[in-house]
Formats: sequence, C-alpha cells, structure tokens
Amino acid sequence: MTALISLKEIGKTFLTDEIETRALSGINIEINKGEYVSLSGQSGCGKSTLLSLLGLLDSPSTGVYTLANNDVSALSRDDRARIRSKEIGFVFQSFNLISDLTVIENVMLPLTYQAGLSKTQIEQKALEVLEKVEMSHRKSHFPSQLSGGQQQRVAVARALVNDPAIILADEPTGNLDSKNAEAVLELFDKLHNEGATICMVTHDPASARRATRCLEMLDGQLIKDNANHDRTSKSAKPVELVAG
Amino acid sequence: MSTLLDIKYALRLLFKSPKFTAMTLLVLIGGLSISLFTFSFLYSVVYKPLPLKEGDTAKSIGVMTHGNYGAIMAYEFQHIKDHITSLAEFGVYDSRDIRVSVNESGKSLYGNLVHAGFFEFSRTAPILGRTIQAEDTKPGAPPVALISYNTWQNDLNGREDVLTRTMILNGEITQIIGVMPQGYHFPNIAQIWLPLPDDVFTAKPQESTYLSAYGRLAPGKTIEQAESELSQAVNQVYQQNVKLYDLPELQKTVKILSFPMAQTGGQGGIIFAFLNAVSWGILLLACINVGNLLLARTIERQKETAIRAALGATTARLVSQLMWEGIIIATLGGVLSLLLVGAALEYTNILLQSWLPGGISFWWQWGMDFVTFMMGLGFIVVTIVLSALLPAWRSANQDINATLRDGTRGAQGKKAGKVSRFLVTAQVFLVALLMLIGSISAFVSYNMINLDMGDNYDDVMSARFLIPENKYPEKAQQIALFDALTSQIKQHPNVEDVVSTNWHWQTPITMEGQDYTSENDKPTVDVITLIGNTETIGINLVSGRQFSHMDKEGNRKTAIISQSMAKRYWPGESPLEKSFTVTFNDKPEKVFIVGVVTDRLNPSTLFGKLDTEDEVYLSGRQFISAFHVMKYKILPQTANPEEIFYRAMFNTDRNLELLYAVQPANENRNLMRDSMRLMSNITFATGFFALLLAMVGIYGLTANTVAQRTHEVGIRRAVGATDRSIIALFIKQGVKQLVIGLGLALVIFALMSVGFHSFTDAIFPVHSYFTLALLVVVGLTSIVLFAVYVPTKRAVMMEPSMALRYE
Repeated sequence: MTALISLKEIGKTFLTDEIETRALSGINIEINKGEYVSLSGQSGCGKSTLLSLLGLLDSPSTGVYTLANNDVSALSRDDRARIRSKEIGFVFQSFNLISDLTVIENVMLPLTYQAGLSKTQIEQKALEVLEKVEMSHRKSHFPSQLSGGQQQRVAVARALVNDPAIILADEPTGNLDSKNAEAVLELFDKLHNEGATICMVTHDPASARRATRCLEMLDGQLIKDNANHDRTSKSAKPVELVAG
Repeated sequence: MSTLLDIKYALRLLFKSPKFTAMTLLVLIGGLSISLFTFSFLYSVVYKPLPLKEGDTAKSIGVMTHGNYGAIMAYEFQHIKDHITSLAEFGVYDSRDIRVSVNESGKSLYGNLVHAGFFEFSRTAPILGRTIQAEDTKPGAPPVALISYNTWQNDLNGREDVLTRTMILNGEITQIIGVMPQGYHFPNIAQIWLPLPDDVFTAKPQESTYLSAYGRLAPGKTIEQAESELSQAVNQVYQQNVKLYDLPELQKTVKILSFPMAQTGGQGGIIFAFLNAVSWGILLLACINVGNLLLARTIERQKETAIRAALGATTARLVSQLMWEGIIIATLGGVLSLLLVGAALEYTNILLQSWLPGGISFWWQWGMDFVTFMMGLGFIVVTIVLSALLPAWRSANQDINATLRDGTRGAQGKKAGKVSRFLVTAQVFLVALLMLIGSISAFVSYNMINLDMGDNYDDVMSARFLIPENKYPEKAQQIALFDALTSQIKQHPNVEDVVSTNWHWQTPITMEGQDYTSENDKPTVDVITLIGNTETIGINLVSGRQFSHMDKEGNRKTAIISQSMAKRYWPGESPLEKSFTVTFNDKPEKVFIVGVVTDRLNPSTLFGKLDTEDEVYLSGRQFISAFHVMKYKILPQTANPEEIFYRAMFNTDRNLELLYAVQPANENRNLMRDSMRLMSNITFATGFFALLLAMVGIYGLTANTVAQRTHEVGIRRAVGATDRSIIALFIKQGVKQLVIGLGLALVIFALMSVGFHSFTDAIFPVHSYFTLALLVVVGLTSIVLFAVYVPTKRAVMMEPSMALRYE
C-alpha cells in the first residue's frame, strides 16, 4: 500500500533569543490512506509540533516530508497554504472558530480559499457537512451562541468541507465533557468507517484506543508505534521504537 | 497605600514599554501644544481685556455703514455727546502719523490726536508732566505733546529735563508736556499724543473728519441700551443733514465692542471659533490615538483585570487602577506642553515685535498667563477623561466569566474591533477634513501671495498727504503746491518719475444713449484721479495718450479707461473720443476718452479678477483734491528713499499733513503677503502634524486590531488562506473605513467649496477644488493603505502554528 504521509528523519528546532530548543528529532512515520492514528505522550513531548508539521502549519528543520508522493518539506508559505486548503482538515482542542463569522461562514472558510468554486457550490457543500455533523439547524448562529460540543462539531464540519486527504485533530475532546467528547469520538469513528484518514493527538488512553494505530512520543521522539493495534483488544502490546 | 501601589505599578508598566510611552507622550504633547497655543494666541488678540485699570469696561464705539465697522463723524459726535445718558464717558481721537523733523530730515511716529479726558478714560497718569487738557485743544493754543516712554528713551535719550524740551512735529515747534508710563500705547500702538483741535467739530458735515470713538457704560446700563441710544442719536443728526448738505441716504447703526474685538472689525469671534475648532480637532485626534493605544494596553491586561475583579475589586477600584497609566502620561504630556507653549508664546512676542513695523497692539502680550494656564489644565482634564477614563471604564466593565474562560477572544474582542473600526473611521474623517480645509487655506494663501494686481510697485515710494485747504483755498494754489513738490522730488538724481493717484471706489457712470430707471441701475467703476503717467506704476498705455498739462481745469474734461471697460462698452471699436458721464463728488461730469490702459485690480478687493471691475482715470488737474497719494519711482538700491520726500516737503511746505509715514508702495502688500505666507506655513505645519498624527494613529489602531486578530489570522492560515488573501482581507476593511471617513469629509468639503466659490466671486476655477480633493484623497489613501499594510504584513509573517497559540 502506498503511504499517504511519509516522514523521514524529521527534526524541528526552535530558536528563541539565541537559545536552541529541539522539539523533535529523528521522526520516521508512514501513514496510509484510511488509517486512524492516535498520537499520545506527556505534555511538552512534541505531539502538537509534530501535528503542526503534518498539517503544514510549520516546516521541519531537518528531514523529508512526503504527502501523497510529493515532497512538501521545503515548500513556500503560500504553496503550503494551498495544500492545506485542499488536502488537510484541522480540528483543534479550543475549536478555533472565528467569533465574528456565523456557523456556516466558518464552515465555508476553507473553500473560499480555493479557486474556481461558486458561492452556491460552497454553500451547498458547507450545508452537506453541517448536516453530516447534525448542525445544519444552527447554521446562522454565531459560535458564542453554541455549547462547547456544538462548536466542536462545527469545527469537525469545517475540517471535512474540503474533502481532505487527512483530518488532523489536536486534543479534540480536551475542552469537552464526557458526553460531548463521546459524541465527537463517535463522529470520528463514523468518518473513519467511511474511509477518512485521521491523525488525532490525545493524552486520554481511552480516546487513543479508538484509533487503529497508536503512536507514543517522549522528549521529541517517537517511542512506540502500535501499528497492529486491534481496536477491540485491550491487551495488545505496542512495538517499542526507541530504547529506554 | 493602594493608590501608591497603583501608581508604582503604572510607572513600572510605562518604563517597561519605553517606545509606547514616548509615542503616546509625543502625540499628546503635539495635540495639547497646538490647541493651547492657538487658544492663547487668539485669546490675546481677540478677547483679552486691555492691560489697563478697568480695562475690561473700556469700549470702542463704531458706526456701522454698509456692514463695516467704522468711525464717527466729528459733527455727529459734537451734536450727540452731551445728550447720551447710557455712557458715563464718551470721547473721540484721531490716529495719524506724526512727522518728527530733525534738521532737514526726520521720521514718522504713530500718533493720536486726543482731547481732554482721553488719559483719564484709560485710567493712566503720566510718569512725568501732565496730560492734555481743554485749553490745549482750543484754537490758537500753543502746540504741546505727550510722548511714550520708548520715544523718551530712544529719541530724547531719556533726558531728565524732557519737559523743558521741544520737538518739531508736523513742522511746528511743539512743547513736550508729559511722558506716559512704559508699555502704555493706548488706544493701540501710539508713541505720541497731540491735542485734537476743537475746530474739527465745527467743520461742515461734508468736510467733517472721521474720528474713532471710545466710551464706558453708565452704571446700570447695558451695551444694547447704549447701542440703541447712540444709533438713534447718530441717525437723527445724519438725517437732519442729508437734504441740507446733499449727503447720501444711509441708515447708520452703532456697535460697541471691546478694543481688541474692534480691531478685528468685529469678526474676531468667527476667526477665534474657526481656528480653535481646527486645533481642538487635532487635540481630539491626539486623544483618540492615545485613548486607543491605552485601550489596547487594557485589553492586553483584560485577564489580569478579570482576576482582580474575581478577587473582589470594585469597578471604581479597577477604573482607578487602570487609569493611572493614562493619568501619568496625560499629566506629564500636559506639563511639558505648558512649558513648550509658554516658550513659544514668548518667542511669538519677540518675533511679531520685530516683524510688524509699527510694533504690535499694546495688549498683544503673549505668555503663560492665568487664562492660558487654566485652559491648559482644562485640556489636560479633558485628555485624561477621553484617553484614560473611557478605556479604563470599558475594560473594568467586562464580562469576568467570559474573559476568564476564553482569555481575550470572543465577545470582548468583537466589541474592541468595532470600537477600533469606528476610531479609524473617525480619524480618517477628521484628518481628511483638516487636510481639505488646510489645502483650501494654503491654496488661497498661495494665490494671494502670487496675486497679479496689474501694476508694478517695485522701487516705488508712497506718501499720503493733505494739502492744508485753509492755507491754499484755491484749486490753482493747490495744484501749484503739488507741482512745486513734484519738481523738488524730481530734482533728486535717483527719482525716475512722480505720479499722484487717488481712488474713489464704486462711482456710478452714465453711458451715452442708455436709459436708467434709477441711480442703482447705473454701472459703477473705480475712479482714480491721476496726475502723471500711469506707466510709472506699471499700468501700460494700450492706445491713445496719457494725461498732459493741457488736461487742466477749464479745458475739455478727459478720461483714460481700462481695457476691460473698453471691451465691455465699445466691443470691436475704438473707445477714443467717445464720451460718458461720471458722477464725481455727487456732480455729473461728461468726460471724453483719450486713452486706454491695462487693467488693474482694486487693492481693496481680496478676491477678484483684473477684469471684474472697470477703472476710469480722471485728470487730477481737472478733478482736484486736497488729498494725494504721491508715488515716486526711484532707482534700485537708493539709500533712505523716504528722505527724498521729506526734504522736498521741507523745501516746499513743511505744514503738509502726512497721513502715514512715507514708505515703499508695496509695504502693505508685502505685509499682506508675509501674513499669507505665515498663515500658509502654519496651515502646512498643522496639516503635516495632523497627517503625522493620523499615520501614527491609524498605524497604532490597525496594528492593535491585527494583533487582536492574530489568532484569527492563524485559523484562516490553518484552513488554507494565503498571505495575500489575509492582507487583502485587512486592506478591504481599511478601505471600507477610508471610504466612509473620506466620503463624509468630501461631502462637507463640497458644501464648503460651493460657499467659498461663491464668496470668492469664482476667482478660483471649479477644477482647482477637484484637484485639491483628489490630492487629499490620493495622499490619505496611500497613508491609510500603508498604515494597514505594514502591521498586517508583519502579522501574516508569523507561522500559523505560532499564531494559533497567540493569546
């Protein structure tokens, strides 16, 4: 099977006031189309940085990142933006909806950055995904008028609207109560079953177990990759990638 | 204790951001200084009470004719002075240049002819000698004079025995009877005071002298009552003489004003209000900018404020704590502005003293006086309210729950965005309006500086004098004296030619074969009586001839007309030898045209075109007047050119009454042009500062808005927005505010332009207003786009992963 995403020897270093902080080093991963991957680890281990690199929100300092057979490690800012608008969908912990835009306007946003789509097409597509997440009845509301769970469902709809190659979710249930968290996870399960590729950062073991593959990080390195993880088995043993 | 802690905390924050502190201070100092300086300067010119004892009750009394504030006629004053009950004091004076002779040379001093009671009215006693009394003004009384402190010190070397000295004033040996205190120049810039002879009050109405009047209200009387009584009395006297002496029908009204206001012709209030409104607009801009910068700071500290509120701080306590930063900046800016304005006012004093030839009105004393200081304090308080209290109040009244839950995002951010957008729009509107008004002012100034008057006064000296009719009662005698004087002047090797002109504005004429239903239907022209050649003063002959000695009394009456008149009444044919009737001294005279000369602008017209008014030149040997404005053209770089006239006068008749000092003929024009240049420079400086304020303000506001929306930029970037689309989004919003602000200003500018166009008799073409508006639109648009682009570009350079974490 051809990998949708391939990371080879990826590293990321931040420079602040001449102090060098190594956030990631030697990351090698391949994610296939249709996989549901969870990424977990302690706070500050580099999960979100890795997700930012996967989502082309940032560029790696070293290594090669291939997305759908294209090397995207050294693209310009605008080229990365164009790929994001077509191939990637984001779901954030804090929802990140724009407060001045209505629900449907928020969902339409990624498509407005793509060329060649009419307003009607964009609206129609946005409505479709809002129906999918059962939020079409609140399309004219502003984010501040919605509950946390509803806001996250809108965020999921926004992530889906451009039919992305991969959905990247950063602690999507972190700001939700258990009931709303379960609803969002069920939505991800449903999307996965429909063939979506998902990569979700979480440090909730229960949420991580919903994925078909579980990656674990420590101090900027990938330490476990439970590639053969059985979603129903609770005793599966993960593969150790890095010693100690 | 808590207040001290708050102040300490505010100071710490200010020191932590030195750039922010310096920028807000600079903006405030600029706005406060411009407003305070404008107020103080104009207040001293228009409203400041005279620096005399009971100076606030001393009033100037003027007679309004044709809407102009003017003088009272001597015979009117004589008839009414004893019957007016609403005034406790009532007197008159005459302003004249007084010729001081020293051997064959000399100079002129600004003087006043006054009568008994004048110095008592100003509540000032001389430091030496006595004042002018009733016996000094009687016919045949020995000539006496009081001199100013400066005249005593400069012209008489401060001699102790000054009261035993004499001076030759207007050709007469005059005894000095007193010296007035230092700084005393009442009623305006007087350096010397002579008796006003009683016989000026006994002249016939048509020969009566115009005099300036002063007075003080009687106890319990109001200005309105006095104006009404005086108007009634003046009109009654005038109407009695209308038929008797064939005077023109007029309705006169009397206006009582303060001396400073009278000096502005009663228009000082409008100028005061207009210029202060402009400067307060700039202060408002400064307050908006500082307020917004402080608002941005309080928004940054919103979470801190919410935590304080959650811990039990009351709204008042929070407001007070948040305000300290603004209070410190406004107070520091205010104190520095007071110092700066104080120095600028002192400098203005020195500058204007040296700039204006006769000195400045004695009440024009600029400095940090009580009123300016109090106004400065008022401005500081207003600044604190606008730029510190309002942002603090807004921040302190936030929704604590929302802020603690969501940080700075959400509803507060939306409200702050709306406020920011409103402020940018208001700022664009104010700056656009200031720039548009400023550009009109600068445009008018430029045109006035370069105004083509149609003549050439370069190297021409001017002397205004009266031939004493009691000594030369016959017209022939007057002409003979004039010729003798001219001959004396022409003997000087540096004199090229001499000409005498005397303007009579708006004189009716009757064209041959035309029927006029009334006098008002007759066309009017500017009549100039002339002895000499018009080319001496740059008015060139187009056809025909100049006047000669043959155009004298007894011969056929002749006229030279302007080109505009020739084209208007004899289009396509020669006007030479054509005739028309001119009403001169209320007497119709038929004149024959012997020459046509180039057009000239009426010097009293502020706005006009060369060909708007027609000129008719009449021979001064046929239409003889005792009053002459003699102009003599000299070679360039002639030393002491005024001496040429004084020597000629000394050798001809030293009793000629000089009305003004001999001076370059373009002295007044140069003064006007210098004033216009100064006004233009001030307008440009103010406009430039307003523009700078706008740039700083709009940049600050946009940077603040962009900073508040950094997280949103991150989201947009995350879902695929390119740099260009984000910049376009912010620019689009900037353009929206620009269009609203600029649009409103342009509507007001259009209305003002229509009024101004009509007021200036359409002298400036309509396209010039469009050009000005276009320049302002292009300039302001560039600045707004630049101010929006720079912070937006900076914001989009941040990686989206960073922007999403931005609080």
